[in-house]
Amino acid sequence: MNIYYEGVLASTGINILLALSAYTILATNRLSLGNAGFMAIGAYVSSYLTVNVGWPLFPSIAVAGAAPALIALAIGRPVLRLQGIYFVMVTLAFGEVTRTFFQNFEPTGGAYGMRGMSGVTIEMIYAFVAAFVLLYVAFDRSRAARLTYTLRDDDEAARSIGIDVVAVRLIAFAWGALVAGIAGALFAHYALYIESGNFNFLISASAVLFVILGGVQTFWGAIIGAVVLTLLPEALRFLDAWRLSAYGAILVAMMVLRPEGILTRTLLRRLRRLSPR
Amino acid sequence: MFSQQLVNGITLGSTYALIAIGYTLVLGVLKKLNLAHGELFMVGTFAGIGMAAAGAPIVVSVGAAFLFAGLVAVAIERTCFYPLRNASFLSPMLTTIAFGILLQNVATQIFGSDPSRFPDTGRSVELHIAGLTISALQVAILVTAFGLMIAIDVLIRHTRWGIALRATSDDPETAAQHGINPSRVTITTFFVSGALAGVAGVLTTLVYSQVTPLIGIRQGLIGMVAMVIGGLGNLRGAMIGGLAVGLLETLNDAYFNAGYRDLVIFSVFFAFLVLRPEGLFPAPGGRS
Repeated sequence: MNIYYEGVLASTGINILLALSAYTILATNRLSLGNAGFMAIGAYVSSYLTVNVGWPLFPSIAVAGAAPALIALAIGRPVLRLQGIYFVMVTLAFGEVTRTFFQNFEPTGGAYGMRGMSGVTIEMIYAFVAAFVLLYVAFDRSRAARLTYTLRDDDEAARSIGIDVVAVRLIAFAWGALVAGIAGALFAHYALYIESGNFNFLISASAVLFVILGGVQTFWGAIIGAVVLTLLPEALRFLDAWRLSAYGAILVAMMVLRPEGILTRTLLRRLRRLSPR
Repeated sequence: MFSQQLVNGITLGSTYALIAIGYTLVLGVLKKLNLAHGELFMVGTFAGIGMAAAGAPIVVSVGAAFLFAGLVAVAIERTCFYPLRNASFLSPMLTTIAFGILLQNVATQIFGSDPSRFPDTGRSVELHIAGLTISALQVAILVTAFGLMIAIDVLIRHTRWGIALRATSDDPETAAQHGINPSRVTITTFFVSGALAGVAGVLTTLVYSQVTPLIGIRQGLIGMVAMVIGGLGNLRGAMIGGLAVGLLETLNDAYFNAGYRDLVIFSVFFAFLVLRPEGLFPAPGGRS
């Protein structure tokens, strides 16, 4: 495969995972602008394990999921007490603390970044994407999903039917961190080189934009958002240096014209009716 | 030595305060975040650099930054906030991120991604007062920044516009029932918020010399930190928060490690949000 297309395909897969990570937290009515922080932890932890400790790839990827999840559990209680703008800001703060920490942390290269990682192929990225999509499909059909989604609208209603709102939200936050961490590990071992700037605020923002523009009502919206918004700048390549301007302008227009996202439940139902059974 | 750091910190902090004031005014009126606020700093800086490159004196650069950044802020309000006024706070917030990407790229196309600077304004005169060294430029910055802060404080407390703004912040529906046009209040608030950030951009760049079109990301975040320290929606809190962050940065660079500057500032940001989200000076009415 052409190396350019392969690169685009790899980013698409990694972005799908990031979108699922943002979606999970958003599904409990909290918007995180700090998922690049969890991604960074996954990327650096797995890279340290494979490059400096000599671990094989797969155990490192597993730890790359577990480490940010544990950190999310540790900070989750005080952080998830905040809501609305305050939660947005505290996650943003977390992302920036993490980024500037790795910028200064010498054991993982500090400002020089890290290299020496390898082994992740495009097939492997999509194997992970497929595995997570299957997990989300299975989860969506479960009773647990219906309980989780009640948090989307109203905490009081959720409490009144006996849901432990705090616990559900904490688990969703940690799961979102886990998915972002694995995305980070795959990114690091595909890109072969990482630096703290790879995990900046715009990465967290993109993850949320994928979900919002794709549609927050189902996880398929997150996936569609990730695919469309990863391919869009590539489709705009003919604009050369101005393509990011066009990208920004198109995003603004999409947000204003269709704030509910591309894929809504109504649209999904209509599509199901069209498809033959 | 320490008092010298205080002077430097207050100078830097006064520019952060100008950013934080605009952040907090918009948040007060709309209860929404403008995540393109830092880009107004950037836009103002480059408007100023553009004027200076055309041979205009610094005063004109400051005026151009004020006007241009103010107008861009109004454009942000009209495209990102007004059409989404009935949507959740998330939609305009994310739209402003996209608008920020657009502004960064346009500035890059015009000024390039390499650092830009003001044409050499000549070595600034240095004043020696009680063992402190203060450049005339620093004095000009302090006078401009504190002048603007006092002006905005007086405007908000004593003019019809200020009353309308405070009324809309407290209770938009009642304010509208009493004949206050919320749309006009919002537009003027955005203009002021952008104008102050734009002036902050020129002042900062005159001292710290170099900017790239991506400067707005950091400056916007720093303004947000200052706003949170002072308490969301609190004007004087934002001023004090700005000075506090400026002092923190300068003292960190002088006595700790300049490399850890942003790590220290963002850790304080995180700690405040977790331990004291209402800030040092909670806005009356306690919104948190």
